[in-house]
Amino acid sequence: MDVSQYLEIFLDETKEHLQNLNTRILELEADPEGADTINEIFRAAHSLKGMAGTMGYKRMQNLTHDMENVFSEVRNGNIKVKPEMIDVLFQCLDALEEYTDNIQSTADEGTNDNDALIKQLNDILNSGSVSSAKAEEAQAPEAAATSVSESGAKWDEIALDDSQITVIKEAQKQGKKVYGINVQIQESCILKAARAFLVFKAVEELAEIIISEPSAQDVEDEKFDRDFTLIILSDGELDAVIKAAESVSEIEKVTGAPIALENNKHYNKSEEAEVHEAAPETAGTETPEPAAATPSVPAAASAPATAKPDAKKQTPAKPVVNRTVRVDIEKLDSLMNLVSELIIAKNSLVSVSSQEQTNVNSAFNEQIEYLEQVTTNLHESVMKVRMVPIESVVNKFPRMIRDLSKKLDKKMELYMTGEETELDRTVVDEIGDPLMHLLRNSADHGLESAEVRAQRGKPAVGSIFLDAYQDGNNVVIEVRDDGNGIDTEAVRNKAIERGTITPEQAANMTDKDIINLLFLPSFSTAKKVTDVSGRGVGLDVVRSKIESLSGEVEVKSKLGVGSTWTIRLPLTLAIIQALMVVVGDEKYAISLGSIQTLEDISPSEVKLVQNKEVIHLRGTVIPLIRLNEVLDIESKKSENENLIVVIVKKGDKMAGLVIDELIGQQEIVIKSLGKYTKQCKFISGATILGDGEIALILDANALI
Amino acid sequence: MELSTNTAKNLPEEEKRGITESVQYIVIRLGNEQYGIDIRNIDNIVRMQPITRIPKMPDYLKGVINMRGEVIPVISMRLVMGLEPDEYTKATRIIVLKLEQEGNVGFIVDEVKEVVTLTSNEIEKITYNSKEEKTNLITAVGKHNGELISLFDLNAISIEGN
Repeated sequence: MDVSQYLEIFLDETKEHLQNLNTRILELEADPEGADTINEIFRAAHSLKGMAGTMGYKRMQNLTHDMENVFSEVRNGNIKVKPEMIDVLFQCLDALEEYTDNIQSTADEGTNDNDALIKQLNDILNSGSVSSAKAEEAQAPEAAATSVSESGAKWDEIALDDSQITVIKEAQKQGKKVYGINVQIQESCILKAARAFLVFKAVEELAEIIISEPSAQDVEDEKFDRDFTLIILSDGELDAVIKAAESVSEIEKVTGAPIALENNKHYNKSEEAEVHEAAPETAGTETPEPAAATPSVPAAASAPATAKPDAKKQTPAKPVVNRTVRVDIEKLDSLMNLVSELIIAKNSLVSVSSQEQTNVNSAFNEQIEYLEQVTTNLHESVMKVRMVPIESVVNKFPRMIRDLSKKLDKKMELYMTGEETELDRTVVDEIGDPLMHLLRNSADHGLESAEVRAQRGKPAVGSIFLDAYQDGNNVVIEVRDDGNGIDTEAVRNKAIERGTITPEQAANMTDKDIINLLFLPSFSTAKKVTDVSGRGVGLDVVRSKIESLSGEVEVKSKLGVGSTWTIRLPLTLAIIQALMVVVGDEKYAISLGSIQTLEDISPSEVKLVQNKEVIHLRGTVIPLIRLNEVLDIESKKSENENLIVVIVKKGDKMAGLVIDELIGQQEIVIKSLGKYTKQCKFISGATILGDGEIALILDANALI
Repeated sequence: MELSTNTAKNLPEEEKRGITESVQYIVIRLGNEQYGIDIRNIDNIVRMQPITRIPKMPDYLKGVINMRGEVIPVISMRLVMGLEPDEYTKATRIIVLKLEQEGNVGFIVDEVKEVVTLTSNEIEKITYNSKEEKTNLITAVGKHNGELISLFDLNAISIEGN
């Protein structure tokens, strides 16, 4: 079978399952008894195995198969979860990830059989089963007994109506055999309805299905628990039918027996004559029955109750399946471009309508406003489609910290908040590496060794925090630790030693400047190089990566107390709300996200501090930046006129941008200027205005 | 029907000539000189339109224009060639070139004159003293109807544009 067309889906889903397994096994480590967790793990491992098998990746299938065996024993309570086991399982996940990577790059799983891992898994299985063999044996007959007693009655519990009884009787008269069969589907099965459908088909080839409980429609809609019961008419043997049904995969058990109407609980010969009365009565007797075979909601609720003896096997409420469609990101990009074009067209309509001052049709204006509303909503929806929670990236970090903790022999704990914070897909894809680096940095450089922590009176377990939240038009991700903080003196000495700065320069540099040195290429203060960090490639990569996403990174650190790394990323990359301003005779856009207030300042309020212009505004001193000077344009305003100042903020820094004129707020589409603007740091792009004119977008962050 | 068969017959001959021996050039004027640009590199030719200036840029990079929703940089050919600054007239055009490295870039020229087809024996390769920067842009000279046309090397232009 050619499966190459499914490769992409396979990879996507495999990664999801692996991520899920990683998270769940971590949970299992913390709570070895969590039945839900074990079930979830089992299910993920099982689907993984099935998928690998279908795609023909035998090694991957073998490994997952052995993992699944272990999970299955854990689930049955035959093996206790031990730390060594968790280690082995994580190694297995790593091996699976390796397979996946290989498949992604070469469409082949590679040749690593991971025999050692499989052996370890089997050892776990064997060691566990010795002690629990007895328990298992004891359980087995019990389980068999319950299932027989349950299933034996199933087809006799079906309420037969008059016509059905007639059909059965007619068939028996004709010498056909009537059987009842009960089909149990494995609880790990995901597409129960599909399996049931295949069973129906297989059975129908050999027999005629006259009654299905739950009804065929309900089965098709997956409105059944784990089993369904059929009453069939057949000329052949019961065994043939059972075999046919069992040949469908993921079917746990098929039981069956010939039907004798006398055994049916709802069948009463005396009632035969008065069927009309019998009908409501059968309905009445049915409800109090605890049988799991009834299709309706109350039955589903009562099902766990009947299954109590083997509660561990019972699947908890199924997680709600999101209805999603996987879409190629390129298609979204082209959709986004079209929306951008639409917004530009809308803007030009707006500007046309505002030009025609002579009593423009009010209906026209109304429609324009309506159009504006629609395009704004459309834009928001498209943006939202592109937004994904950073969860997909940060989920792998707890596992990483756990490994680091073992490797570095430091006790540490990662606390994460705001995993649900959403960012543009392209940003999320890129942000993983920088974050990973910062976390490693915190774990390796930041947190002190156990002895030092004890001396300083800090808790033995170091804490690393990863907090994400939205702040206006930005998303902020903070990596914080309660470790040593940055030793600025050490950095200073190192920088001098390396010749990065001269001693004179060093003397004039503030601690903040010194910390910024860390972002220079090939600068590492780690006293010894470990394979975790300290090779001097990293922080500069972190910064350049984040800057390439038009974000920025900042550090705050206190020696002996800890450091905080703050990454600030723009929420959207394509369309923003901006304030349009005029400087000289040119129009510029300033992102609304960075604007605090607009101020009208009289020239007398402008003071000089260290020969730089500042204003004093509500208790804060804010430096002034005259945009016309920065942009090399003649200002149209005379010196005596009041200044229009746009107060912009970046982190805790503020600045006042002096402009000539305000136009107003507008939704703008960011167009890249390409390589040519690299030389002009404070222009972050361009936008096309309603009249087709181009306005440049000022990056306030670069000006401050 | 007859007409179409006729053209179909004629086409292969013309095509053969076009592909094997000759290249089409668009002839432009800068000051008193004529230059040729390989037509295959040209995306579009537009009339002069308002250019948005970008601060802190070299002189020859005049700014950006909006071409059907795309923002493209515009370079003054005159300044690149070391001539007097442009005087925009009715004949002034922006030639938009598709460059491999930089994407679309517009060049301001005084006038777009015609399209000529030059065969390889009408083109003379020239080697220049590498110290003279601006002349490096010209790789060859084409002869057409007794006039000389300097042919641009587009790779040199794109590097200049950087």
